[in-house]
Parts: sequence; structure tokens; C-alpha cells
Amino acid sequence: MAEPAKQDNTGAVTPKTEDGAAAGPKIGVFICHCGSNIAGVVDCGKVRQAAEKLPGVTVAKENKYTCSDLGQEEIIKAIRENGIERVVVASCSPRLHEPTFRKCIERAGLNAYLLHMVNIREQCSWVHSQEKEKATDKATDLVKMGVSKASMLQPLAAREVPVEPVSLVIGAGVAGIQAALDLANMGFKVNVVETQPSIGGKMAQLDKTFPTGDCAICILAPKMVELARHPNITLLSYSDVEEVKGHIGSYEVKVRRKSRFVHEDKCVGCGLCAEACPVKVDNEFDLGFGQRKAIYVPFPQAVPLKYTIDKENCLHFKSGKCLLCAKACSNQAIDHKMQDEVITLKVGTIIVATGYETYVPMRKGVYKYWEFDNVITGLELERLLNASGPTGGHLVRPSDGQVPKRIAFIQCVGSRNKKINKNYCSRVCCMYAIKDSQIINEHEPKTEVAVYYNDIRAFGKGFEELYHRVREEYGVEFIRGRPAKLTEDPNTKAITIRAEETLLNKITEREFDLVVLSTGLIPSPGSEKIGKVLNLAVSPDGFFSEAHPKLRPVDTAIDGIFLAGCCQGPKDIPDSVAQAKAAASSAAAPMYAKKVWIEPLTAVVDQELCVGCGLCVELCPYGSPELVPGEKGGMKARAIEALCHGCGTCAASCPQKAISPMQFTDTQIFSEIEAALHEPTKKQNGKKKAEAEVS
Amino acid sequence: MKEVEKVFIGGLKEELMEDKVIDESQLAPGFAEEIKKYGGKDVMTCLQCGNCTGVCPISLKIDYKTRNIIKCCQFGLKKYILSTRWVCATCYRCYEHCPADLNPAEIMIALRHIAVREGIIPPFVKTAATNLVKYGQSVRPDEEIDKIRRELGLKPVHTHDPSFKSVIREIQVLVHASKYDKLIGIQEEVKV
Repeated sequence: MAEPAKQDNTGAVTPKTEDGAAAGPKIGVFICHCGSNIAGVVDCGKVRQAAEKLPGVTVAKENKYTCSDLGQEEIIKAIRENGIERVVVASCSPRLHEPTFRKCIERAGLNAYLLHMVNIREQCSWVHSQEKEKATDKATDLVKMGVSKASMLQPLAAREVPVEPVSLVIGAGVAGIQAALDLANMGFKVNVVETQPSIGGKMAQLDKTFPTGDCAICILAPKMVELARHPNITLLSYSDVEEVKGHIGSYEVKVRRKSRFVHEDKCVGCGLCAEACPVKVDNEFDLGFGQRKAIYVPFPQAVPLKYTIDKENCLHFKSGKCLLCAKACSNQAIDHKMQDEVITLKVGTIIVATGYETYVPMRKGVYKYWEFDNVITGLELERLLNASGPTGGHLVRPSDGQVPKRIAFIQCVGSRNKKINKNYCSRVCCMYAIKDSQIINEHEPKTEVAVYYNDIRAFGKGFEELYHRVREEYGVEFIRGRPAKLTEDPNTKAITIRAEETLLNKITEREFDLVVLSTGLIPSPGSEKIGKVLNLAVSPDGFFSEAHPKLRPVDTAIDGIFLAGCCQGPKDIPDSVAQAKAAASSAAAPMYAKKVWIEPLTAVVDQELCVGCGLCVELCPYGSPELVPGEKGGMKARAIEALCHGCGTCAASCPQKAISPMQFTDTQIFSEIEAALHEPTKKQNGKKKAEAEVS
Repeated sequence: MKEVEKVFIGGLKEELMEDKVIDESQLAPGFAEEIKKYGGKDVMTCLQCGNCTGVCPISLKIDYKTRNIIKCCQFGLKKYILSTRWVCATCYRCYEHCPADLNPAEIMIALRHIAVREGIIPPFVKTAATNLVKYGQSVRPDEEIDKIRRELGLKPVHTHDPSFKSVIREIQVLVHASKYDKLIGIQEEVKV
């Protein structure tokens, strides 16, 4: 057959003879250059020429950017004019543009699932940039496999499911609070679950915020109160999410309401019970510096202002006696026999805002946190500076209660350290050390402050200005070097830091009264549990990973579940709030539309082949298949479509091969394999021997 | 500069002082790769935090900055540091503390490999190597040591034992087979 005359390298192919085309559906192949991302490595012209010769291929074209308007128009034109029935797009990962091209072919009247994407960017040109010829061969093979599979594609129908206009926010720190308020203000019902007795999270523990020096609780408390009073919000404090089932639109969530041993509806927060309680223990909220009773509120501004009995330390639970608190309560709110309660919520979307924990220095570490009294962490310093903290905002050192005159900060403790597998920057430590050095000087003027740093990262709005101000106004000294050794004077309890001042090229030894370790941020312990319950993906650093680092920063890989705040990675308060607002608006979209389309890529069980062994029921991570009595007797498996994620675990494990995941059926996959193995072009590359072996 | 510093760390300080400006002519491209070839980890990952200098026991005695040497490696300032880094006792404390998970001690060893191959061998290294071939150990047994040992009630050094001759012989065979003698330029004739 003569090649048609072409004006450029993107021309159409003369359709094959009718005999050739009649064998299967007409296939169109569209090869994307992706600028130079693909075309810079793969010879797209060669790939197109090879594609033209494949059985069933009626149109093969190249585009600089297939995803652009022009590129899409060309696909639509080919469908309308050439009668293309299956579309193969060889470009980037389907994760990026599958939805784009599905919509595109749907516009031309084709079923959206008659599209197959061949990844010749991430899986070819990007990884083989040094071997252009081999990359071209591989791209050709991948296209051949794709065309072979495309001929097997069957139309599928996406399902529309209703979306419950109710959201669940897990975690009520500043991010969770903001997300809940935004959704509630849009008119959606919101359930907020917080594991602690009070909402507020880590921000409630902080003294001032950088770079403006706003009092943290002063700006947070109004939001906490607003959340508690909002008619659209149900606050479930001191509760844990135990189980989540379902899919976007209708998640079924089991929440354990841990027993406070105090009836929330009766408690007025007067505090008579705490006065009567004889047990004193360290207050976790003050990180062990202050004390609380066994019946307590963690801090004065707590929301809800309801007391909680700490079962571990309560005398009644230890000896069966006491009950002084119950006697003191004039409202009969206290009930030592109270039990945990498990409630079920039905929600359409979920926002995860489980926050962070601060890094705890190692027991036998270099910085002697556990050995020297006057070595504290940044968060402990926040409590010591805080007006409602254990010292009433009076900065003293732990060893003797004296005011420290020389204070050192050590940066990057628990961050940027490959040795302890914390390779990331915690993003807030530079700025909180700088902010604290300002506050220290406001509390006690002329305090000598030195910051031992590796790099100062003052990247945010107003950060650099604050960095400048502390040097200008307070003479805060910045020493570039990571301390090597800390020694304590046994009499004065002063600490000598040995470090190389790398900019001076000198080893320095300086004495300080108080050393503050600027500890980094790590995923909160609750995150791991929630991650398992929700099947969320986790990045190597332990934080939840977003669906796309740039374009889907608040989405997760699971539809209807969104991320907000530090559970996704360390960030400061403005960034947490911004992400919370973004998560709220993303969660609102399907709830406002009240319906959502679910992919039909689920598992289908062949009732004839199934023997009802139940292996799939055991293995499914989403609880989708169930055993039901079959029409002709015996038990048969059936996939509950709404729960199925199409992961294929059941299909791979089924001993009868009775289960097929749609669009990944055995016939489709085998057709790809066959196309890969029976390729005449391989002979041209001197691979005759290899081919002889496989065939 | 102390005598010991001159012997062990060469003229790093003076050379740095002499060169007012460092331009490309003084840099050795691909130096970081060369270090990798001889067993050092990627020096480019060093954060220059100075923790290694701070923990280095040698730095207590003489002006020796581990971080400085790694910086020179990153920069390709081969000429400053090949004259060479024999002072490192390879105690691995720097490795223990390094947040970038580099191993400065092994980089020092790699630098020695490179230096020797370029013929930059301090005299004491040559002496030690010659002793190894001659006496089977790098420190030459002498009267002084024997005297101290006698006073402490210790047996004479085992190298005096006639049976140790075969050990020396084995070492010589190995030295010859691995061409170590040629590399170091040992004068002693090794008869195999």
C-alpha cells in the first residue's frame, strides 16, 4: 500500500483496506510529544509509523501536546470523521490525564472507557533519557501492547451515587477547626472528632506566634468557642474514629466516645470537683512542668469546658474509695460507672487533620535532654513563656528556678538528620527559635541569646524581617555550626556547648544557663491508626501523602477524603489554615453537587465459575465481596460495587479465576502480553535469538 | 605551625592563605567522583554543619578541621588536601554524629588512596611501609622498646621469635603480589 503524501509529520494515515479494518474495531493512536519531554528522547515519528501498520489502526497521529485544546480537537475529529471506535493515547501517566481524555472522547460520542493510555513518559522517556534508540523501541512496543488491549475494551458505565451533605473532620487543632467552621458556614453539617478532652491542638499550647507575635490562644480561643456553639457542628471531643466503611458520598463511621466519667450535659465546668480531688499528677498540657488533678480540664480556655477523670490516676479506680469529686459536684455530673459509647455516623466526605507531635530527643543522645535539667525543648519553652503556663509566664530555668541570663538554641534537633531517618526540614523550628529569642528579650531584657544553626530558613511573609529585627534590636547571635558536645557544670548546672563556628573556622566552647532544643515535627501517633482505618497512603517521612504534590495538594488517593494541616507534612499556622480552607472547599464540591460519579472499574464475579470458597472475602482490604446463596444452590461470592476499589487482589487470588476486574480482565492483559512477545520489529534489532527463545 | 601539624596535615593553612582568589584553574573536576571510587560516600551531600570537627579527638590537639577537608573535596580543591590527611585516626566518631550520614573517616582513607597513587607519600608513611615489609610490623622493634618491656616484666616482642620469620615471609609475598611495594616505592628488595 502506497504511503499517502504528507505535508508534515502529523498527517493522517490512509485508512487500511476494508478487509483489514473489518477484523476488529477501528483504533486511533495519538502519540504525544509532551513538548520535549517525550520527543526529546523518543523518535515519535518512528513510533507513529510502526503504529500505522498495526492491525485495526485506522488513524495514527502525533501532537506536540495531545492534552491541549488542539490535540483534543484532533481526537474528536478522528472519531467523528474516521469512525474511530477505540482510542489509544500514548503520553504521560493515566494518573495525570486519563480523566481529560475520557471527557474528550465522551464529547465525541464515544463511551469514556473505550480509551487506553500508554505511558511513554514516566515509564519510558524520563527513565531512559540516555538511551534514545532503545527508548524508541520500547515506546513502539508499549504502543503495540496498548493497541492490542484497546481492541479488547468494552464500554462501561460510570455510576452516579448520592452524596450525604455531612462531613467528618478528624482532629480539632487549628486546621481541623478551620475546615469545620468553613464547611459549617457553607451550610453543611459537620461532625468533629477530637481524641483529647479539649479541642485546640498544639496551637493552644503555644505562647506567641511568629512573625507577628500574636498570642496563640487569644486568636485561637474565639474559633474554638465558635466551633462549639455552631448550630451545624456536632463536637465529639474525647472520642476516637474506630472504623470507616463505604465510599465517597456515604461513609459509615464508627466513633468511640471515650468515657469521661462526667456527664457532659450536666457539667458546668465550675471546678469544685478538681478542688476536692486529692490526686496531683503532671499536666501533659504543660509537658510535665505544671500539675493537674486526676479530674481536670487541660487548660483554662478548654473547649468544651467539661471535666474529665483520668482513670489511670483516679483513686476510686485504684482503691474503690474516695469519690470526693462526686460529693463536691452540686450537679451530680460525675458518674464513675460511665461506659464508652460507640456511635455510627453517616457522612459524605472526610477531612483528616490529625496534626503532628514534636520530636522527642533520644535517651542517650548528644544533647543530654534526659540527663541535664537545663536542656529543654522548644515546646517546653513555649509553656514556660506562656502566661497561663506553669510559671505564669515567668521564664525560669528548671534546675533552680533562677532567671537564665544566657540562653542557647540548638536547631535541627530531629530534623534534617539521616542518622535518625528524619531527612526532612520541619519548616517551623528556625522561626520559632527566632520568635522565642525575641520574646525572651521582651520578658527579660539583655538576655544573651545564641542560636546554633545549619541554615536559617526565613521564607515566609514577614519572616526575614523578624530575623533581621532580633539581630538588630536584641543582638541575638547566630552561630553556624551543629553542636558536638554538651557538658554540665555539676555546681552551677550551667551547660557548656562545644561546636565548630564553621564561618570562623574555629572550635568554640561557650557556657549557657539554659539550652533549648528546637525539636522538629513528626507525624502524630494517632495518624498511624487513622491512616490504617482509612487506607491512606503515607510518604517516606511518615506523613500522609497527597494525591498530587502540586495540583491536588489536599486530596488523597481515595475520593472524598481530604487532608488538612500538619498530618500531610510540617507547616506553620498560616499554611495549616490555608490548607484547611482548601480542604473544606474541596470537600464542599461533591456535597454541594449532592451526587458524584463512581468509576465502574470494579471486580465482577462469574457466578458459573465461583465455588464459594470465600478466599476473596478474607483477602479484600475494603470488605467488598460477600458470600450469598447462589441461584442454583451453594454459596457464591458477590462484589459489593460501592465498596470495591478495583485493586484486583481478589482476582489475583481466586483459584477458579472467577473474578475479573473491569478493564484489567485476563483476556485484555494476555492480549497485551502477546503483543509484546510476538513482534516482528524485534528482528530488526538483532534480537532474533531472544525471540526464538520466547516463541 | 607546630612540627606535628606540618607532618600530618601539610600546608593546608598556608596554601589557603596564599591563594587570595580561587579560580577554576585550581579546581580538580570530578574529584568527588574520584573519592567515591576509593570508597568514600558522596561528599556533595555534606551540609557543612561542623559536627564532625566538634567531635574529632584530633581537633583537641592540633588545628585540624574535618569539615574543612570535606568542603575542599566538594569544591575540588584537590591540591590543598592531597598533601595529605594521615592524621585521622579513623575512630569513626564523625561518622557516628554526621546528620548527612557521610563517613568522613572513610573519605580520609579514600584521600590517602588517591594521594599515594599520585605519588604524594609523606616520608613517615614510606618508613612504616618499609618496616612492615622488613619486620612484619609498621613500628620497628628496637632496643628502647625491648628495654621498656623488660622493665614492665613483659616478654620480648614476638618478632624476635625465629618462627615469626615465616609470618614476615607471608607478608612479603602478599605485598609483592598486590604490588603494594611498587605503589609505595619501598626500597627494600622483596625476594619471592
